[in-house]
Amino acid sequence: MKAIKSNFRQFLLFLKNDNMMFAACFAPLICALLFRFDVPLLEKLVTSYFNVSEILTPYYALFDLFLSVLSPAMFCYVAAMMILEEKDDHIVEYLFVTPLGKQGYLVSRLGVPEGISIAVTIILLSFFNLSKVPIAANILLSVAGAAQGIITALIIALSSNKLEGMASAKLTSLMSLGIIAPFFIQKGTQYLLSPLPSFWMAKGVYENNYLYMVLSLVLSSIWIVFLIKRFAPKTTG
Amino acid sequence: MIKVKNVSFSYTKKPFVKDISFSVGGGEIFGFLGPSGAGKTTLQKILTGLISTYDGSAVVAGMECKRHNNSFYEKIGVDFEFSTLYEKLTARQNLQFFSSLYRNQPASIDNLLEAVGLHNDADKKVSDYSKGMKSRLNFIKSLLHDPSILFLDEPTSGLDPTNSRLMKDMILEEKRKGKTIIITTHNMHDATELCDKVAFIVNGEIRAWDSPHNLIMSKGAAKITYSYFENGEQTSSCLLKEISEDTKLQMLIKDNSLLSIHSSEPTLNDIFIDLTGRTLL
Repeated sequence: MKAIKSNFRQFLLFLKNDNMMFAACFAPLICALLFRFDVPLLEKLVTSYFNVSEILTPYYALFDLFLSVLSPAMFCYVAAMMILEEKDDHIVEYLFVTPLGKQGYLVSRLGVPEGISIAVTIILLSFFNLSKVPIAANILLSVAGAAQGIITALIIALSSNKLEGMASAKLTSLMSLGIIAPFFIQKGTQYLLSPLPSFWMAKGVYENNYLYMVLSLVLSSIWIVFLIKRFAPKTTG
Repeated sequence: MIKVKNVSFSYTKKPFVKDISFSVGGGEIFGFLGPSGAGKTTLQKILTGLISTYDGSAVVAGMECKRHNNSFYEKIGVDFEFSTLYEKLTARQNLQFFSSLYRNQPASIDNLLEAVGLHNDADKKVSDYSKGMKSRLNFIKSLLHDPSILFLDEPTSGLDPTNSRLMKDMILEEKRKGKTIIITTHNMHDATELCDKVAFIVNGEIRAWDSPHNLIMSKGAAKITYSYFENGEQTSSCLLKEISEDTKLQMLIKDNSLLSIHSSEPTLNDIFIDLTGRTLL
């Protein structure tokens, strides 16, 4: 536990020394404020302009879904960048031969930030939701979002170096593509995105069925186990 | 302290490390010698618990390496060949962070920095360090928690003669404290000077395993070469053990007419080539 705490403190020091990464951690709050206050304002403007009763309102849940994956994505992006920097400096391999070990490393670099992101997401969804998310759904979405964040971080961390990691970070945004499927893609076709945990998160919200969110968690666990198995050998050679 | 029995490992279907067995006692320095790609680093990874999918048994500090828990790492210290330091942090910050990972923290950071001549650069960022300075810092990083077993991968690589001497003296000092040290190297001079025993590794197999002295003595014999003047400068040689039978040499000594005389012994590298048909580099 001591080693995990120390290594997490090192993560915070990394954040403190990198303004870009520090700012990235505040992006979810900025988005939450924009979603909560500007989207209804925009809805008011466009509905009065087009003289219709609603345009954006049916998609309010979609904004909440994006909010649920945003904090974990940002926190994990920062964590993944630090992992890549440590890989570039051969530090990951060294940390594996300290009392921190492989597990401790992953817990301190991914587990702890994701734990914090769950708390942040629950707070953001409670205060800034647009579609009145019930508390049970809020918790499930926050955990599922965090699991997706870990997947994103591991995919980025599998890159050979920081530069390659930046490129794969852009690709990992595709992991969130599943969110829009239940809202915009026809029933049969939308299942093409079913391997993505985000698809089942959105389906759970869209059909108001929590079981889908649990399915999203199960699917995320499979992704995480698969990626961790690939991460460790790639790091230790 | 270390007992390895029939260890085999493979990255692919083809075996990479084959049926390796050896043991190292407390307070001993054991060297793995072999050319690049021979399996030395892989063997070190097995012994440090980084590779756990090996066959056979590798017991380090009383713990089977593939079933180690994290307290295992309180007992071992590892110095990789390459720098494993945060480039953006100072030397002191690096040492403070790495020492904070351990329960045992008996070593004073200032004393360690002083021992390798880095005390004046302790607050300099590691990115501003030379390769040699990084090597020295990397080395003392492995001593922070006063481990009983040290794994050193090419500890003198990239060091100038003065710093190489300093590093070797520090290694010998750790041995005097009773630590077991495993050195992975292809530097035969370091191995001869530092190691109590060495193992020659080629293509994932141990070809020979003994003290450098025994290996040298078992495979070769020291020679005497001398020169003298007789219708121009002449050179002659004989085996050291047959020196009493060389009447010419005896006569030259008696007449004080030797121009030069020197002895030469086979090196560990000669023995390595003799046993494996390959060079160490």
